[in-house]
Amino acid sequence: MEPEVIEAELVLPTHLSFKRVQMYEKYPKGQSRGRHWKHLRQIIQAENYQNFPPDEPNYVNIESPPSMHPCKKICDITGYEAPYSDPRTNLRYANAEVFKLIRSLPNEYVQRYLAQRNAAVVLK
Amino acid sequence: MPFISRIQRQSDYSLFPPSTPIVIDNGASYFRIGWAGETEPRVIFRNIVQRPRHKTTGETVTIVGDHDPTLLKYFDCTRSGPRSAFESNVVYQFEIMEYVLDFAFDRLGANESQIDHPILITECVCNPVYSRGKMAELLFETYGVPSIAYGVDAAFSYKYNQQHGVCAKDGLAICPGFTTTHVIPFINGEPVYKGCCRTNIGGFHITDYMKQLLSLKYPHHMARFTWEKVEDLKMEHCYIAQDYGSEAQLFQKGLKEAEEKTRCWQLPWTPPPTEEPPSEEELARKAAIKEKQSQRLREMAEAKRSSRINELENELNGLEFLLRQLEQVQEGDIPSFLSETGYVSKQEIESALMKVTQSLRKTKGEPKGDQAEIEEKNDPITSEKFPLIDIPDNMLTAEQLKEKRKQLFLKTTSEGRQRAKQKRHEEELERERRNQEDEVKRLENPELYVEQLQVKYKELCEKVEQRKRLKTNGGPTNGNNISGGVGRGERLSATQRERMRLLTTAAFDRGKGEDTFGAKDEDWQLYKLMSKDNDDEDEGPNEDESELARLSSRLQEVDPTFVPKLDIGTSQSTEVPRLRPLTKEDFQIVFGVERFRCPEILFRPNWIGIDQAGLDEMAGVSIRRLPSHDQELESRLTSSIFVTGGSCLFPGINERLEAGIRMIRPCGSPIKVVKALDPILDAWRGASAYAASSQFFTQTFSKMDYYEKGEDWLRGYELRYTL
Repeated sequence: MEPEVIEAELVLPTHLSFKRVQMYEKYPKGQSRGRHWKHLRQIIQAENYQNFPPDEPNYVNIESPPSMHPCKKICDITGYEAPYSDPRTNLRYANAEVFKLIRSLPNEYVQRYLAQRNAAVVLK
Repeated sequence: MPFISRIQRQSDYSLFPPSTPIVIDNGASYFRIGWAGETEPRVIFRNIVQRPRHKTTGETVTIVGDHDPTLLKYFDCTRSGPRSAFESNVVYQFEIMEYVLDFAFDRLGANESQIDHPILITECVCNPVYSRGKMAELLFETYGVPSIAYGVDAAFSYKYNQQHGVCAKDGLAICPGFTTTHVIPFINGEPVYKGCCRTNIGGFHITDYMKQLLSLKYPHHMARFTWEKVEDLKMEHCYIAQDYGSEAQLFQKGLKEAEEKTRCWQLPWTPPPTEEPPSEEELARKAAIKEKQSQRLREMAEAKRSSRINELENELNGLEFLLRQLEQVQEGDIPSFLSETGYVSKQEIESALMKVTQSLRKTKGEPKGDQAEIEEKNDPITSEKFPLIDIPDNMLTAEQLKEKRKQLFLKTTSEGRQRAKQKRHEEELERERRNQEDEVKRLENPELYVEQLQVKYKELCEKVEQRKRLKTNGGPTNGNNISGGVGRGERLSATQRERMRLLTTAAFDRGKGEDTFGAKDEDWQLYKLMSKDNDDEDEGPNEDESELARLSSRLQEVDPTFVPKLDIGTSQSTEVPRLRPLTKEDFQIVFGVERFRCPEILFRPNWIGIDQAGLDEMAGVSIRRLPSHDQELESRLTSSIFVTGGSCLFPGINERLEAGIRMIRPCGSPIKVVKALDPILDAWRGASAYAASSQFFTQTFSKMDYYEKGEDWLRGYELRYTL
C-alpha cells in the first residue's frame, strides 16, 4: 500500500478491537457467499401488513396517494410547456423547432428521453 | 462540496463514561455520529461503501464514505461502484451497514473490547420490523451495545426547532430527504404517524434527473457529469420557481430576465493553435521551389521527347534506306535479302514506315486532327471517294461488290457524323442566340433580370427535385422522406411498386371462378408490364436538367453571390453539420430551464414517472388523514408548517409551499411556512439534546428486552419525544 493511502487510513482495518465478532469470523472466505439479505419488496411482503388493522400506520399505508392535480405536460427536451405530442415517438414538444429536433433524434435518445418519465418501451 | 465530510479520528473516546449515549443520524445520504449533549456531530461521511481491488497487491479492500478522489487512483474501482445499505429509506443490507458502523466507531475513537454506550439511532417513519430487528441484532451481538433507542430524524429536527421557538407544539413537518419525502403532523409536540404520508422522491431523484437531462443535452461531455459534480451543481444553481409555467415562458421567449437567470459552466478548453498566414518571403520561397521543380520536370520531358524523336528518325531513315535498297534487289531475291532484317515482305516494311512516321508526327506535336480535317474537307465529293456506290450491282465483279458494301457502310457513318455535327452546331447557335437575348434583357434592367432568373432557377430546381423524388421514393404523398421513414413501401419507386402490385394481384387471382386469362389479347399485355425491362428509366439528362444547368451557369456569370445547389433532391444533406473547428461555446454547459425544472419534481413527481402527490398536496393529504377533523386544530397545524431535510435548501421553496398549500386549504386559513435553523444537522442536534436528557433511559431497550419481548413488541415500539 502506498504511504499516503496508509496515512489517510483510507482502508477499513480488518480487525477492530471493539467488535465482538470480527468481519473475517462472520465471512471466513472474504466476501459473503450468495445473497443473504432481502430486498425491500421482500421485507414488506414478510411484514404481513394485511394481518394488522388498516388504521394502524405502517410502511406501506403511509404512502401518498396519486396526485389529484391535473398533470402539467412539459416538453421532454426543453422543459417548456408542451401543447403537442408526437405520435411517432410519443415525445411531448413545445414548438416546431423542437419537433424538428425530435424527428432527427436516433431512437436510442428518444427512448432515453421517454425513460425519464418512465414511459420508455421496456422489453421483458 | 457543500457538505464537508469530517472523518478525523477522535481521541477523547475514553473520557466519556459508559452512561453517555452515542447519537447516530443514519441518513440515506450522510451518516453522522457524535456524543449526546454536544451541538455538533464528531464524524460525518457519506453513507456509502466501496470494495475496490488494490491495483498493485490485488487484494479487495473496504473503503467507507467519501474520500479524496486522488487517493482512489491506487484502486481499481471499475468492478464495484459505491454501494449503499439503503433501499428507498430502509436499511436492508446489513453487511454494508456493518462496514459503515465499523468505520464510524473506529473514527469516533472506540478502542475498548466493546461499545459500552447506549445508542440512539435514527430510522425512517414506520420502519419495517425486520429492519429494526436486524439493526438491533447487529448492535447487540457484534458491538455489545447495552441499550438502543430508535427515533425519526424529522421528529428530532422538529423538536429541536420547537425548543428554539421556530415552530409550535402543533404543526406539520415537511421533510424532503434523499430518497423519500415525509409529511408528519405534530399534535402536542408528538408526531402522529396516522396522519403521516410519504412520497418516494427526494434529492437523489433530482440529481439523477439533472444528470440525465444534462447528458442528453450534451452527449459529448457525458463523462463530465459525475454524480458528485451534478450534486454540486444542483446545490449551487437549482431553485424552485414560484410558477413553473410563467418561469418557463420567460425562457421560451428569450427575455433578458431569462438571460440573467441562465448559468454557464465553462469546461476547461484551450483554443487550438491558430495557424498564422505565411509571410511574403515564405510564399515567394515556396513559389520559387515549385517553379524550380516544374522547370526540372519540363526539362526532363523535353529531353525524353527529343531522344524519342531522334530514335524514331533513325528508324525512319533505316526503313527508307531499306526500301531504296529493296528497289535495286530483284523480285525473286527479296525473301533472302529480307531474312536478315526480320521483315517478310515489302508491304510490311511500308506499314512499319507508316507507323513510324505517324508516331514521329505525334511526338513532334503536330496537330493530330489534320487527317480528319482533310477527310471531312473531302466529304462533299463523296462520289470520288466512294466511286463504286453509284454503279449498279450487276456491273461489278464479286470482289468489287464486297468493296461496294464497305464503301456504302463508310458513307452512311460519315453522313451520320456530319448530321450530328450539324445539330451540335445548331444547338450552339441557339444557345448563343438565347444568351444574347438574355444579355439584351439584362442590359435593359439588370436587377429585374437577375430576379427573374433566380425565380426561374428555383422553379426548375423544384421540378427536377420533384422528379427525382418520384423516381426514388414514390409519389409526392409521402413528403416526409426527410424524416427518414423507412417502411418497405418507401424504398421502392413508383414504377417498381406498380410492378409489385401487378405481381401480387396476378398471384392471388387464381381459383376465383372460371379462369378466363388469355381469352383476350390484352391479357397478355400484363406480362409486358410485369417484365423487369419495363422500369427502365431515361437516365440521360432531360430537357429540364439541361436548362437548369444553363441557368445556373448564367446566374454564376451575372450574380457573383449565387451558389448553385449541389445536391438537388437531397434536402436533408444541407442540414448535416459541417465539420468546423470547436469553439469555446462547445465547451459550455448552459443551465437555463434545468435550474428550476429539476427541483420541480418535488412538487410534480409524475414528471419522472412517480404517480404520487407532490410536496404541497402531501400537506393536504396529511391533514385529511388525521383522525379528528377539528377546524381549529387544522388551522393550528397550517400556521406552523416546518420544513427540514436536505432537499429543502432550494431557494423559493417556502414561498412555493405556502402558495401551494393555500390553494388546497379553505379560504382565509392561516398559513405560515418556516424553515429549520439548519435543515441538515438539526436532526442530529435534536437527537443529541434528546439523548442528553435524564429521562432518555426510559425510552431505550436492552438486549434482554429485545429477546424477551419479541418481535410484536418491537413493532409497537415508539419513542416518546416529549420527556
